[in-house]
Amino acid sequence: MDFPKITRRTFLQVSAGTTAAVAVAPRLLHAMENELGGKDFSPENAAERKAIPVNCHVCNIQDGAIAYVENDRVVKLEGNPEHVSTRGRLCAKGNSGMWYSYDPDRILYPLKRVGARGEGKWKRITWDEALTEVAGKLDAALKEDPNTIMLKYGRNRTGGTLERFMKTLGSATVLNHTSVCESSKKVGQEPTWGPDIETPDFANAKYVLNFGSNILEAAYFHNPLSQRVTEGRVDNHMKIVTFDVRLSNTAGFSDEWIPVFPATDGAVALAIGHVILREDLQDSEFIDTWTNVTVDELKAHYAQYTPEWAAKISGVSVQTIERIAREFATTKPATLFTYRGPAKHLYGSYNEKACMMLPIMTGNVEKRGGYCLPRGMGWPQPMPQPSGPKQDSVLAHPPEYPLAAHKVSHLVPFWIAEGRQKINVAFTYQDNPVYTNPGAQAVWGKLYRDEKLIPYFISMSSHMGEETALADIILPDCPYLERWEPESMPNSLWPWLGIRQPVHKSLGESRENRVLLRDIIWKLDPDGSRGMKQFWEFKDGEDYMRHHFDNVPGLKEAGGLDFLKKHGVWPIYGTLDPRTGKVTDKTGREIQAEYGLYKKELSGADIEGAMVDAHGLITKNGKAIGIRRDGHDYVGFPTGNRLINVRVDEWAEYGFNPMPTFKRIPWHETMKDDEMILSTFKLNVHKQSRTAAVKWLAEIAHSNPAWMNPETAKKLGVKTGDLVRVESPVGYLVTKAYVTEGIHPKVISIATGFGHWEYGRLATLKLKDKPAFGGTEDPDLDNVWWDDRGVHPNAIIPVVADPIGGSQGWYDTVVKVSKAGPDDKYGDIHGDWDRHYAAYKETMRYAYTGDMHRKMHPEMASWAGPESVKPKASGGH
Amino acid sequence: MLKTFLALEDDGVSVDPAGPRLSSAELGAECAARADVYRLLSGAFVEEPGPSFVQAMRRPDVLQSLADAGVRFDTDFTLPDTESLVERLACEYATLFAATGGFPPVESVRLTGRYKQDPHFKVRQTYAKWGFALHKGRFEVFPDQLGVELMFVAELLERCSLALARGDEADYRRLEREVKRFWTQHLGRWVRGYARLIEQAAEHSFYREMARFLGGFADEEIVAMGLRIDDLDHGRAVVPKAEIRVEFNPDEPVCNSCEGVPAGPRRATGVHTLHDLR
Repeated sequence: MDFPKITRRTFLQVSAGTTAAVAVAPRLLHAMENELGGKDFSPENAAERKAIPVNCHVCNIQDGAIAYVENDRVVKLEGNPEHVSTRGRLCAKGNSGMWYSYDPDRILYPLKRVGARGEGKWKRITWDEALTEVAGKLDAALKEDPNTIMLKYGRNRTGGTLERFMKTLGSATVLNHTSVCESSKKVGQEPTWGPDIETPDFANAKYVLNFGSNILEAAYFHNPLSQRVTEGRVDNHMKIVTFDVRLSNTAGFSDEWIPVFPATDGAVALAIGHVILREDLQDSEFIDTWTNVTVDELKAHYAQYTPEWAAKISGVSVQTIERIAREFATTKPATLFTYRGPAKHLYGSYNEKACMMLPIMTGNVEKRGGYCLPRGMGWPQPMPQPSGPKQDSVLAHPPEYPLAAHKVSHLVPFWIAEGRQKINVAFTYQDNPVYTNPGAQAVWGKLYRDEKLIPYFISMSSHMGEETALADIILPDCPYLERWEPESMPNSLWPWLGIRQPVHKSLGESRENRVLLRDIIWKLDPDGSRGMKQFWEFKDGEDYMRHHFDNVPGLKEAGGLDFLKKHGVWPIYGTLDPRTGKVTDKTGREIQAEYGLYKKELSGADIEGAMVDAHGLITKNGKAIGIRRDGHDYVGFPTGNRLINVRVDEWAEYGFNPMPTFKRIPWHETMKDDEMILSTFKLNVHKQSRTAAVKWLAEIAHSNPAWMNPETAKKLGVKTGDLVRVESPVGYLVTKAYVTEGIHPKVISIATGFGHWEYGRLATLKLKDKPAFGGTEDPDLDNVWWDDRGVHPNAIIPVVADPIGGSQGWYDTVVKVSKAGPDDKYGDIHGDWDRHYAAYKETMRYAYTGDMHRKMHPEMASWAGPESVKPKASGGH
Repeated sequence: MLKTFLALEDDGVSVDPAGPRLSSAELGAECAARADVYRLLSGAFVEEPGPSFVQAMRRPDVLQSLADAGVRFDTDFTLPDTESLVERLACEYATLFAATGGFPPVESVRLTGRYKQDPHFKVRQTYAKWGFALHKGRFEVFPDQLGVELMFVAELLERCSLALARGDEADYRRLEREVKRFWTQHLGRWVRGYARLIEQAAEHSFYREMARFLGGFADEEIVAMGLRIDDLDHGRAVVPKAEIRVEFNPDEPVCNSCEGVPAGPRRATGVHTLHDLR
């Protein structure tokens, strides 16, 4: 038999001609990653690795993950295919999470300071010694005033344990990190429609307006939502328009990137609303039925926000504003997403409100492909629970910011320095304001170094961050792969409950936080006679989780905590299709989300005994439970009147405009030609502060040159790589320039997450300066080929507080940029406490009690002034 | 093949650097003496020295023995009262070994850059195989911590000594092989380089000298056991020129006068052989 002669040309022809047959030929080998999601095998002996489901906590998106454990060691992290939100995928950060556990710079034992604060001299002590010392300090503070015990937390996912601890002590001095994070986004939304964030249904949308969110890299909820953005773009031909000062990866993925002048997103949104209303493109039925204003009121109010007005402020042309308004209003379904871009400004709450008005006025709320309410689940707390503190704390609830429901923690150093509240003992947990807050080392560093202001400073931390380095005592906490925590996050349209569980015993003598706090209380109240111990009667973290999860309806029947230990998440909505990456039901179709949550009808039992007022508000036992519309009793929105409050009356009580509005930042209006605005951003492989020690991530990104436009660079005579000096009203820094068209000409932008001076050898690259010390000779560190750790900008960013939402105005800083002088060195940073203090005094002028408040609100001339306002009960969380 | 893999010398061709073959009694005494040295070194590195260890170390006869072996502490070790010395050594221990920025004395960290990697599990298996369980001292400690690895060898050597005392040559050989295997697979791969690093980094003469002693002892042990092991810990006394970064100022005058320059760290030489410590 003769074989045919095969040449390269022949088989190329065969290949081209047989595509159809190839497509249907059987395929028996599949990529393991997809096919075997949830399983993994050792490449050495092919043995199946132990798979332990957890919730990732490198950042706070809360992806479902699986830790593959071999020999009691995590060898790989992968997405949990049973997790409905993240569908078996993890980002680069999540894949690197085991570095936290095995980091040679990790703190494994209680350490007591033996030198000056921050000198880096420690003594290892036993837990008993540490707990005895801490309990002694707390005991003395409790005798004076429980509020002299302060706790400031950053990433608190303990599920209520920290709050329980402070309530047990009777202290209200609990501070969070939210004002440097997203508080004005939250406060822009909460009084309007109830929750603090939206869930855009990207996968089914046809049109997206993105104001200042870099969802493909960093924003809430990066991994799950970027999957849906991609699906919408590819499968649904969705159009994306991004307003951002910088060409982020999200802007680059968009159909249009519109480089808006900083802090003017709100003006653009109002002008888009103006066009929609002017051209009668709104959803009148939705507005009249589901908001507390009429279409006519809205039209009258929006008449002032013309495209011409917005164009002048924002630099976005009238034609662009009008075109986008028409596209957005006439393309259904459409959605909108924001993140820090609009919110992190002096009047960030107004900006957020202006943006969220667009899906509201076009009736895209809670529709498939639209702008949806977040979905989450709760869990009960172990009983009994301690009652609240007897007296409030002015640091936690400053009277000048009554609407800032998420606190104004970034101003606290100044209030402590002014003596507004005495502190005896300060705790810190998963926080690092010495690095992450405005002023950084110049403000929080100064506070924590001052033993008169903070006499005793306790850090509960697994790593030596910039603030932990200033502690008097360090109690070693566990990284996320070694602790128990309850979890739920509205990171898709399907609600879920999840857990973090230890994948192995904690290393060294680190203790998970809830156990550590329990041990402090047990030391303070060993026999229970002080009434504290009763709230901390649990054996270990798992026992605590059983109190949370063993009686949740539905989950209880499925097995409670045992189900979560096995699957990591509940409920399991379907099966991940390895070919499409989507969660499917038994028929193979993608599972569908539930929409129109506000139109769920109340049951007969709900209505029984309820009252309906003239506006249709249904109340029962004094509590609003729904709204009657067109003869139906709906649950409505989770607000006091069960409607969307376009007009927020509470804002007016304090002299703020209750309707959608925009305030230009006064110091931006008076900028000189040679001045610019400094903005910051995050890259996809780093979070705010705690990833610089993760080698895989540090290798990908370790330096942060300042982005500047070629037009600007030309004026300054600067090219990429040149040193530039960036000077703000509170300090200066020297860094390298990166010249790119991808930035607004009036903006200079520096990524955060770099330029650490603590956080271990990798973050600081001290291995390069001191070859005789540290892990210099650690063989893995020999692979560190980079010697640039970047420059951290926060020391030169002054505090700004949104008088409504309390947010830091991260993107409000006016700077002068010049070519570096002969005395300037790369990495020079100087921040001045006195000048930061002056900035604090200036921002307080914008609070409702300050002299600038009325000047900024001429439209509220009838407001009777701060004296007219009744004291507000403390709130927030 | 196993012998090749473990770099063990064949009995017939092994070089005995200690000289002529020792009697069983002499060999037993040597094992006991070696075990003591291992215990001494383990005590220095496994955790912060307590008052009794410090007091014992400062006894004149012990100081003299160590001085004879080339280990000479400065007055920072000999003069202070016990309490303040214990405190000072605890701080130095934390800085060197237990706090961020130091260099943990843990084989996994030294050879892989992370805690709890292969050496951690392998030594744990080895301890279990020989019937040992690791208990907490004043603090939790990793199985591949330097002090624990040294302690394990000390235990084996004591068993060697007992085996010889009861005339059980086979058991002695079995134990001796394990000591060699453990050196080949663990201690020998990292202790010498690491000892040089501690010697350079230590501020207190106690750790500097004990590190020198550890380095010299390791050299001696490896030679005495006839092993060939490369040290994979890259702790080097001298940084290669290529890795030195100098900011050269051409306007600065060249100065050949180096009198004022403090002497560098002393090299780990001059440590006497095991027989001197018997």
